[in-house]
Amino acid sequence: MSGRRVFVSGVGGELGTLVARMLEDEQWVGSLAGIDADPPRRRLQRTTYHRLSPDNHDQIVDTITDFNPHVLIHVGVWEPDARASPKAAGVLTEQAATSILGAAAECRALESIVVRSGIEIYGRGKGSLTRPAESAPIRPTSEYGHTLADIEAIAANVAERVGVTVGAVRLASVLGPHVPSPLGRLLRMPAVPFSAAADPPFAVIEHNDAARALVAAARNQLAEPVNVVAPGAITALHAIRRGRRIPVPVFGPQWFLARRLSHMLGAPIPDHVAEALTRGRLADNGRMEELLGITADVSTVEVIDHLYHWPSVVRRPARVPAAQQIGEAS
Amino acid sequence: MSSPLGRVVQFPVRHGATLVGGTANTTRAAFRRVTEEPSGHVDDWGRDAGLFRTITMLSEIRWAVSTGGDQHLPARKGALIVVNARRFSMAHVYSAFAISRAVDRPVRFVGRPDDTTLGALAQRLGGLLDHPDEVAGALRAGELVVSAATSSSRPREVGTVDHTIIGAAVASGVDVFPAATTSSPFSRRARIEIGSAIRGGRRRRGPLAEYELAHEVREQISLLLTEMGDINTGTPLDWLPLSGLGGN
Repeated sequence: MSGRRVFVSGVGGELGTLVARMLEDEQWVGSLAGIDADPPRRRLQRTTYHRLSPDNHDQIVDTITDFNPHVLIHVGVWEPDARASPKAAGVLTEQAATSILGAAAECRALESIVVRSGIEIYGRGKGSLTRPAESAPIRPTSEYGHTLADIEAIAANVAERVGVTVGAVRLASVLGPHVPSPLGRLLRMPAVPFSAAADPPFAVIEHNDAARALVAAARNQLAEPVNVVAPGAITALHAIRRGRRIPVPVFGPQWFLARRLSHMLGAPIPDHVAEALTRGRLADNGRMEELLGITADVSTVEVIDHLYHWPSVVRRPARVPAAQQIGEAS
Repeated sequence: MSSPLGRVVQFPVRHGATLVGGTANTTRAAFRRVTEEPSGHVDDWGRDAGLFRTITMLSEIRWAVSTGGDQHLPARKGALIVVNARRFSMAHVYSAFAISRAVDRPVRFVGRPDDTTLGALAQRLGGLLDHPDEVAGALRAGELVVSAATSSSRPREVGTVDHTIIGAAVASGVDVFPAATTSSPFSRRARIEIGSAIRGGRRRRGPLAEYELAHEVREQISLLLTEMGDINTGTPLDWLPLSGLGGN
């Protein structure tokens, strides 16, 4: 297996860029291309980047069918309140999934599809398993969970119609220094709300491990879902203590107020994050090594510790205004 | 040739101060537990080691449990331990606590509620939902899991063993151990005796495997209860059938 053409959707995001960078070092990858509405976050050497908006259906289809990939990695999934509002995120994700996966179906060379999914897909309704394995029923209870279930359904439908394999990489909440994450943003606030009545445990995954999992899924032509979760778990209160933040105990109806207040302060809490804080979010990562040949390097507690060690953004006003600098230069 | 009567069986003797040695071992184990599982450490299943230590210490006010037969349990692999339960005795909870102390590894119990506060507390102490998939997941991950038969008002009676939970063990390829428990609502004393692993009699391909194994487990627990005998206080309380101490 060498000289494969690999196409990465969502290559402009932090995770997509990381995936593309890792793919550039893979021996089996021949040519590499990607699309996104935003340019990649880092310099890519071998990747051809196409700047296309998810609503630009015709051009997306032309770009992908012209490239005729062997492997499609669909990372173009917008997490609510990460880079877009929940409503916009849902629309963008749906548009991207329809155009990209639909276009992939038209490619004769296509052999496998890998889609980014999440453990939010299992839902946290009454009676749902504490640590669902990949075989657990899909019963999403959040907007993001429903979006992910739709993406997996579209990918499975395309794969069945054109006879290719499809693998879903179900990631825990991805945290990393530049990854826009509503959970990460909330935990870094000076005062953080937590469920006083339950404070259930949740698990996360670091961005490097998540990208390695997506690359391994493409390399191994993953043909089933796999949970990608860092070992261990942590509760919100433990995380708050580790980060030396102020814990704000919140009971049932107060969550409504806490979410509104947090939104005003710049860290919106979408429903899947609120669910993780009130009902917990774990998943069984026992098949990760078997299916992908890798394990997570960083545990959940270490990811949370890293989260609190990222440098904050320091805003320094320019000593000379930009307009004046341009004027002086000209 | 010397008379066989003259031969005396020599049991190994522990030299040195056993009290000091025992205390040192206990201190070492406690120190290791505290350092390896610091306060605030939550494992893959949400069990909080610090909270567990606190609650087990508090549980000793209610139960003084002696555990036997723990040498049968695997050192690292997963296993399902099925115990009998008297009504309102919380046998699965104190059994999990006591076995955890005896084998020095986390032990989960089946049957935590799925509500917010109580369910979350039970999860932090190692509780699992009463669902075969949940139990199978824990067993596959190499955990020791305690499940209780349906509770009974008679202390010597073993209730029905849930075959779906046994099925989870069969599907996960782990051993099933019967364990008999006795406790009293009026005293702290409680006892757990773990039997040897049960192998299915006939090789079955279908669901009969777990039905027959569940039946076998129930019989083995009854046998263990008979072997254990009664807990006697030496008072007329022992004569009362509902005291949890007397006969059937």
